[in-house]
Amino acid sequence: MAKAFKYGLKGIRGHLEPAERDLLRSLFDDVISMLEPEERANEDPLAALVGLDTEAREPSDRAMRRLLPNVMKNDDDASLEFRRYTERSLRENKIGALKAAALSLDRDNLILTPDDARHWATALNDVRLVLAERLDIRDDADADNVHLMQDWAQAEDVESYLALVYNFTTWLQESLVQAMVHSLDARR
Amino acid sequence: MTLSVALGPDTRESTQTGTVTSGDVLTAPDIPWNLVIWNDPVNLMSYVSFVFRSYFGYSEAKANKLMMEVHKKGRSIVAHGSKEQVEQHAVAMHGYGLWATVEKATGGNASGSGKGKGKRG
Repeated sequence: MAKAFKYGLKGIRGHLEPAERDLLRSLFDDVISMLEPEERANEDPLAALVGLDTEAREPSDRAMRRLLPNVMKNDDDASLEFRRYTERSLRENKIGALKAAALSLDRDNLILTPDDARHWATALNDVRLVLAERLDIRDDADADNVHLMQDWAQAEDVESYLALVYNFTTWLQESLVQAMVHSLDARR
Repeated sequence: MTLSVALGPDTRESTQTGTVTSGDVLTAPDIPWNLVIWNDPVNLMSYVSFVFRSYFGYSEAKANKLMMEVHKKGRSIVAHGSKEQVEQHAVAMHGYGLWATVEKATGGNASGSGKGKGKRG
């Protein structure tokens, strides 16, 4: 059984069972594959090099829209222009954090440096944003309903399984953030 | 209690001492853009507050106050600055997974805000 992350002298320490590590690895990989930009045949290599993506569009998938939101609420044109300059590097940063978190799962001891912890926090957050869209969590009442699902013996369909996975990642992220808050307080 | 009154000069000062480099001077025409954080049922309250503390360098009290504002009112203006500054903050917030947008500030400074237009590119 996983243990909550704790801040101590060596950094932030966690403990995960092999099955929990496998689960998290596959969740991180899923979100990485969602975020990986598609290869384009006629792309301007110089534009790609500086992070410009002239073909960027607002994603049609809700989860992707939540990961890569518009920068302006009521101006789609300005949001699209901004997206062309920034979305590629945003995707790459998110993928970098997810990959770093996945990589640290290969270590025997899960002791996180401040950088590791930041990668883990954003990686878990992105995973939760995607799961929440798949679970149709639209408001706090939806979130509360999902939260009621705590017993793995109840997992009899995809939705209840996703709810349990969501609650596990929520618990893990909360314990990590508490540990990060402790480390922030300790440094001041 | 209204947001803009409560946060005006205080936020600006914190932004300057936080992530904005000391070389940046906030001149009047460059001020009138807001960074807005929107509520969602997924992001943990502790996480949102942590991001405000670690990224903007806000105090725990200020970070919690802004976080509660997001939670209860649905949105909160968490920083001001030039268009470029708040856009940079917005990308950083998207990196953390927070739902952030930028908007032109309404009120006193809005009339002189044409200067920021077309700067990008």
